[in-house]
Amino acid sequence: MTNARTLHLKVARADGIAPTLRRVHLVAADGARLPPAAPGAHITLTLPAPAGGRPFHNSYTLVSADPEAGYEVIVRLSDRSRGGSRHVHESLAPGDMIEATAPHNLFALHSQAKKHLLIGGGIGVTPMIAFVTYLREQGASFELHQIAAPAEVGVFEALLALRTGERIHIHAGRDAFGLTALLAAQPLGTHVYTCGPAGLMDGVEASAAALGWPETHVHREDFGAAGGEPFVLRLAASGIDIAVAGDQTMLEAIEAAGVDTPSLCRGGACGVCMLPVSEGTPEHRDHYLSEAERGAGCLVMPCVSRSRSATLVLDI
Amino acid sequence: MSTGTASNRPRYAPLAPDPRARAHLLVTDHQDIAEAAFAPGIGLADFPERWDVVAHARVLPEPFGGPGVQHFRSASHLLALLRHRLAAETMGLRLYVTGSEPFVWDAARVAIEAGMGREEMRLFATGKPVRRVSCVHCRTINPGVTTTLVTCAGCGVVLTVRDHFSRVHNAWMGVQCDAEVPGEVPAIEDLSA
Repeated sequence: MTNARTLHLKVARADGIAPTLRRVHLVAADGARLPPAAPGAHITLTLPAPAGGRPFHNSYTLVSADPEAGYEVIVRLSDRSRGGSRHVHESLAPGDMIEATAPHNLFALHSQAKKHLLIGGGIGVTPMIAFVTYLREQGASFELHQIAAPAEVGVFEALLALRTGERIHIHAGRDAFGLTALLAAQPLGTHVYTCGPAGLMDGVEASAAALGWPETHVHREDFGAAGGEPFVLRLAASGIDIAVAGDQTMLEAIEAAGVDTPSLCRGGACGVCMLPVSEGTPEHRDHYLSEAERGAGCLVMPCVSRSRSATLVLDI
Repeated sequence: MSTGTASNRPRYAPLAPDPRARAHLLVTDHQDIAEAAFAPGIGLADFPERWDVVAHARVLPEPFGGPGVQHFRSASHLLALLRHRLAAETMGLRLYVTGSEPFVWDAARVAIEAGMGREEMRLFATGKPVRRVSCVHCRTINPGVTTTLVTCAGCGVVLTVRDHFSRVHNAWMGVQCDAEVPGEVPAIEDLSA
């Protein structure tokens, strides 16, 4: 993972803002300026694994990014944490050094939009905070609907620094929120951005499509969706078999075996980690390959996708 | 000068309703729409809400009238009410525009200003080419040009109409025809579609 674009960061602050949410403020280790990032950008942190295992590479959206003041991320402690978010919650302390990629943006605001409709669910609030900050500065038209667990409504209200007169609504649970009516009422020129659980984002996409929204006006950001049945990965050219555990991604398993392969977003969006398949049936979970490419079954995005067959053979 | 160079002239696909849309509106500056404007198997009946131009229309058109045919007295009249209609529209509408090329791109401009993207509109120019030509020397827009050479109404030079269309200005580029070799004026021809 170390290359010329690796950033060496230092933890300036780390504060618990809710029982499972921790806000981490990162600055350049050498005090230099950090690369700028537009709202919606993320960085991938290299986090140590317990007991000296291969480190985790977890992507987090920047809730604020300033070359001088540093980057802020908010990390949710995952129930199914393999160690990445647990490390952030239980071990990370001010002064710690941490490596990160330069910011990348796969969830950018559309500059020609007349109005931005933001729909966040749970920890999907993180890009929404960055969007709201930017759209306020620009004086742009926006509306945010954020779904939160009832116990976290107050936390989210504080994070979003609610102002009177703004269309920011925090709903306690998804039932409190009429998605179809909301999408049906949007004026021409609206773009919708959604980040949160797959069910919420699928619902936004399906409702928008049913109402005739063109795909180009619907934007989603998903990280995670890891996990599934274990399977065996055979790297034909390298001549090695790798067991992919149920709570591990194919990409992590390849890296754990010591094979270097390029990757970027680790969320199935950018296409950088794409690998050729020579045997077996991939279970595609990415948003990069077209339907035709999926049907052909010759390519797979190892960061999120898995295998339907007990063995998947890659031509690397 | 007008031949052999790269062209960016618009290409139009015959119109068919987008099955994914919530609502459809077809507008034209003609009274009768050429069959060529529609994809095979598609006709006027596939567009229940239509706006057209009928010079002596006596009934006031209703821009929020829903399905049916509304007659406007001029293209300007139609475009003004199209702007009004789109300002009140919600997502899911597709706009279909056919007619003379200047009208088609005027309507596209109204739609873009209302926030519509290119994927939300379908354009099809019909009829013999009648172009707006912008003089690169004096910025005058010369409407109604049907030939490869035209005398600029602004500065009086004879312009050759180059195969270069500005979607922003809705005009073709006109350059003094003998700018390279003074006195060498090409033969005048009808513009070709």
